[in-house]
Amino acid sequence: MGKNILVVDDSESIREVVSFTLENEGYEVKVGNDGKDALKHLNGDPIDLVITDLHMPEMDGIELIKEIRNKEQYQRIPILFLTTESQASKKQEAKDAGATGWIVKPFVPAKLLAALKKVMR
Amino acid sequence: MDKFKNKFLEEANENIAGLEDALLKLEKAPQDSDLVEKVFRHMHSLKGGGAMFGFNQLSDFTHHLENVYDRVREGTMEVNQGLLDLTLESVDHLKNLLQQGDELSGDMATRHKNLSLQVKKYLESGATPSGSQSQPSSSGSQEQTYYIYFDPDEDLFDNGTNPLFLLDELVGLGQAFVMPCLQGIPLLAEMDPRKCYTHWEVVLATTEDHSAIHDVFIFVEDQARIEVQKLADGNLLSNETFRKALEEKYHKDQDLGIDAVKGLVPAKDTGTAAQSPKKGKQSNGQARKDEGIASIRVDSEKIDHMMNLVSELVTTQARLSLHAEHSENNELEEIAENVQKLTRQLRDNAFDIALVPVETMITRFNRLVRDLSNSLDKKVQLQTEGTETELDKNIIETLTDPLLHILRNCIDHGIETPEERRQAGKPEEGKILLKAFYSGASVHIQVHDDGKGIDPEKIRQQAVEKNVISPESQLSKKEIFDLIFLPGFSTSSNVTDVSGRGVGMDVVKRNLADIRGEVEIDSEPGTGTTLTVKLPLTLSIIDGLLVQIADNKYVIPLSAVDKIYAANHSDVVDTFNNLIVLDGERIPFFYLRKEFNMPASDSNTQEIVVVQYNENRIGLVVDTVIGEYQAVLKSLGKMYKYQDMISGATILGDGTVALVMDTNKMIERFSSDRQRMTNVESQKK
Repeated sequence: MGKNILVVDDSESIREVVSFTLENEGYEVKVGNDGKDALKHLNGDPIDLVITDLHMPEMDGIELIKEIRNKEQYQRIPILFLTTESQASKKQEAKDAGATGWIVKPFVPAKLLAALKKVMR
Repeated sequence: MDKFKNKFLEEANENIAGLEDALLKLEKAPQDSDLVEKVFRHMHSLKGGGAMFGFNQLSDFTHHLENVYDRVREGTMEVNQGLLDLTLESVDHLKNLLQQGDELSGDMATRHKNLSLQVKKYLESGATPSGSQSQPSSSGSQEQTYYIYFDPDEDLFDNGTNPLFLLDELVGLGQAFVMPCLQGIPLLAEMDPRKCYTHWEVVLATTEDHSAIHDVFIFVEDQARIEVQKLADGNLLSNETFRKALEEKYHKDQDLGIDAVKGLVPAKDTGTAAQSPKKGKQSNGQARKDEGIASIRVDSEKIDHMMNLVSELVTTQARLSLHAEHSENNELEEIAENVQKLTRQLRDNAFDIALVPVETMITRFNRLVRDLSNSLDKKVQLQTEGTETELDKNIIETLTDPLLHILRNCIDHGIETPEERRQAGKPEEGKILLKAFYSGASVHIQVHDDGKGIDPEKIRQQAVEKNVISPESQLSKKEIFDLIFLPGFSTSSNVTDVSGRGVGMDVVKRNLADIRGEVEIDSEPGTGTTLTVKLPLTLSIIDGLLVQIADNKYVIPLSAVDKIYAANHSDVVDTFNNLIVLDGERIPFFYLRKEFNMPASDSNTQEIVVVQYNENRIGLVVDTVIGEYQAVLKSLGKMYKYQDMISGATILGDGTVALVMDTNKMIERFSSDRQRMTNVESQKK
C-alpha cells in the first residue's frame, strides 16, 4: 500500500521532479500549487507526509505548516520543507511552526529520498 | 580485520577487472558517458576500499586517476588514446599495488612515482579546473567505533518526528548496538503518550565520519541532546569480549554514559576521543546499503566442500535405493525413490552453483590481444560468441592459461602483419573469434583466426626431421595436425619472445587433459586456423551407462553412448574383421572380454554399446547392460596415473567398485594394438 504524499510548490518544474521521483518509489502523490491550494487535500484525505516550498503566493509554507498542525488529523504527520541553504532564519521559523525537517535546494532525487527516509517509513 | 581484507581483495580484483573491461570498451566508444561513469565508479570503489584496508598507495594513486575521469565525466576533458594507454598502464600498476600493499620495493617505487607523476601531469595539462570539487568526504576513511548519545526533548513528537527512524538510519551506517534507556518513562497513570520519555545510547562501528553521524540527527539538532564521541579505531563490535561486556553492563544498569562504555574498551583499542562535531553534506553511503542482496559471495572452498558432500550423498543414495529394492518394503521403496529425486535435484543445483560463465575470462583475453597486437604491430580484433556458456569453476580456472597460450599463438604465428594481409587480399585487421557452445554433455570452445594457417606438409617435414615419424608413414590431415601437440614441436620457424618460450602446445594439451579436456586443431593454409577445446561440463559426477563384463561392472559415459544393440554370441566372437552390420551400417567393434584378456562368455547373447569415436561409430561388446547410473568419479590414485583408459572409479550402491571407461582413449589404444598385431603377423609371413 503506497503512502500518500502531498507536494506543495508554486513552481511546476519542482512539483514535476518531486512527484516523478516519489511516484517512481511507489508513493501516491498529490500536488498543491500553493498553501491555499494544498488545503483542499487536507480535509480528511489520508496524507502521510507533506513536502512544501516556503515561498509561495497566496499562502506561504510557514502559514501552511501552522495550518496543518492546527488540524487534529494531521497534527503529527511529518512535514518537510524545501529551502535554499542561505535561509538559516527561515529554517528556524519553519521548525518553530512545526516542520519536521527540510531539503536543501537544489537537490537530486537521492537526497530527497534520503531526507524522506528520516521521517517516514 | 583479515577476514574483511580478503573480501576487499576479492572486491578490488573485481573492480580492477571491471575497470579494465570498461576501459577497453571505452577505447572503442570514447563518447559513451555510461562507460566513463563505470570507469569512475570502479575507481571510486577502489579508492575507498584501499584506504580502508591499509592500501594507502593504491588509494592515493587511484584518487588522482579518479580526478582525471571526474573531469571527463564533467566534459572538461576528452578521452583519447594517450589517456587510455596511461590508464591501462595504471591498471596494471594497480594490480601490482594490490599485491604488494604499501611496501614498495625499488622497481615498483620508481614505477609508482613515474606513473603518479604522469597522471598528475595529465590532470594539470587538461582543461581548466572546474569550480566545484566533487570530493566525496565520507568514504575512504578507516572503520571506527563511536559512542552516540541521543536524548530528544519531550515534545519531539510534536514536529512529526519519529526518533526510531533516525536510529534506523544510524544503524544503517554500519554495525550498531542500540541501547534504549527507559528509566525516564513514568507510571502509566502519569504518562502523556504525546511525549517522548526515552533516550538512547548507541555504539556504532562505521566507516562514515563524524559529520555523517551528525547528519542523521540534522532535523532534530535543536530538539535533542546529541553527543558523538569516538571510542576507538576499528570495529569494536566485532570484538567478542567488548560486545559481551557491553551487553552485560547494559542489562544490569541502563544509561551507561560515555565513561562507562569507554571503560569497557580493550586497552590497545582506545583511540583519541572526542572531536568537535561539524556539519557536513549528506553522506552518499546510504544508497549503497539500501540495495537489495541479489547475490552473495561464497568462499570457493565452501563450494568445493559442498560438491564433495553432494558426491557422497549420491553414493549413499545409491546404496539406499538398492537396499530398498531388496527389502520388498513398499514404504521404504517410496521413500528411497523420493530421496533419489531430491538428490538428483540437489546435485543439479549444486553443479549450477559451481558453474561460472566463460565471460569471466574474456577481459583477460581482450587485454592480451590488445597489448600483444600492439607490441607486434599487428591489427587484431577479438570477437566472442556464446560467452554466457557456463563451466565448472575449477575447469575455468585451469582453462584460462591454456587459452591464453592458444591466443598468443594465434596472434604471434597465425595473424599476419597488416602488410602481409594486404598483399594476401585480406582486410588489414585480423580477426580472432572465440566461440563457446554446448555440445551434448560437453562444452566446446573454439578459437578461430583468419591468419595464414598451418601447412600440413611443413609439419610433416619437420616431424620427419625430428624423427617423430618415418618418411614413408601415411598420416591423415588430422593426424598430422595432432603432431603439433607433441613435446618440443614448434610450427613456427622463428622463435619469438612471445610464444616461442619453450612452452609448447604439448603443455596446453597436458593442462587440458588434467580437466579431462581435449584439444583439436584444424587449419586451411592461407585462410586460418581453428582450435577446438572440448571440455566436460563437470569433473565430479557423470551420467553413465552401467554395464557388466564377466564379474566386473563398468561405467561408460552416457555422453559417448549412441545406441545399444543385442547380438548373438557367434556374431561377435572370432569374426574375421571385427565388423558387424547394425541397422544396415557396418560398424567395427571390440569384444571387450577379449581386449581385457578375459575368457569368452558362454552366454548366447551379448550386447553391443555403440559409442561415438571421433567421426565414427564403434561398437563395444559387453555381457549385459544394467542401466543408467550417476557415477561419482573418484580418482584411482597415483599408482594408476599413467594409464588413461580408465578415467576413474565409482562406488556402486552395493559397495562394489565400478571402473569408468574413457571410451576415446580405450578405442585409440585397442586400435593401435590391433595395428601392431597385424604388422607383426604380416612380417612373420
